[in-house]
Amino acid sequence: MKKNEKLFWTGCGIFCVAALLASICYAVVCNDSRLVTPVDLGGYTFIPQDLPMILSVLLLCGYVFALVFTLCVQKKRAGAEPDRTRRLNPKLGLLGLLGFLGFLGFWSYPARGDVTPFVFFLFFGFFGFFYEGKMSGTFMDERFRENAARAQLISYKICFSIMFIALLVLSQGRLFGSLEYTLIAVMIVLSIALALGIFLPEYLLYRYDHDETLDED
Amino acid sequence: MAEFECRLKQYRLFQNMTQEQLAARVGVRRETIMRLEKAQYNPSLKLAVDISRAVGVPIEEIFLFP
Repeated sequence: MKKNEKLFWTGCGIFCVAALLASICYAVVCNDSRLVTPVDLGGYTFIPQDLPMILSVLLLCGYVFALVFTLCVQKKRAGAEPDRTRRLNPKLGLLGLLGFLGFLGFWSYPARGDVTPFVFFLFFGFFGFFYEGKMSGTFMDERFRENAARAQLISYKICFSIMFIALLVLSQGRLFGSLEYTLIAVMIVLSIALALGIFLPEYLLYRYDHDETLDED
Repeated sequence: MAEFECRLKQYRLFQNMTQEQLAARVGVRRETIMRLEKAQYNPSLKLAVDISRAVGVPIEEIFLFP
């Protein structure tokens, strides 16, 4: 992004935030803090005094959307190398640690009956970013593409086999004699299998590409 | 994978080319040339033709299938 563009987007951002702060102040001082305190949208009725708050929020959302869109377009233009793998920092593989959030489910289910955290096991798949990052910017010749296809095929086979076997076993519905536990186990197994489906192609591709010591000329 | 003998290395050296130079000429990575020379990779027809043109030797003299 050029310096002028940076200044433009920074200025717009400051204006949007200032507008939001001003409308919050207006709402608190002159409008009984409407739309600042939590509102039950089911019983909400519009009054003209709400307009500054609504407009400033819409303005901020529009700004964020436009900024993200511009950054994405610019990044795509800058990194337009169709024959090379995308550039990633291997440290992004650390995002895989988010998978441990899945263990929260073992606390949230007995405490609140909430099984959603088990889905976080899916994030273990982000460990694949480590291997993808190690191979970022690699020229994709025909051998690389063949290896990529082979790696994907093998990992999908493994992934679907695990899912099939697990569903076959768990569909008996007798895990600890409880259907709920069985469904939770299904959720965990599917999340982990999908995580494997994300991770394994990158890992296998890396192994196929680096499995032999390269000879020097 | 079909087993074959590859004589690419000797023809490449005869042309005084490095693996890197040959790879650049035929549009692949050096690792691919290395695997080809060890007969560990079965190339596509296009790559085989490109290689044969790059080293100036017919395909059937570079890749020998039993």
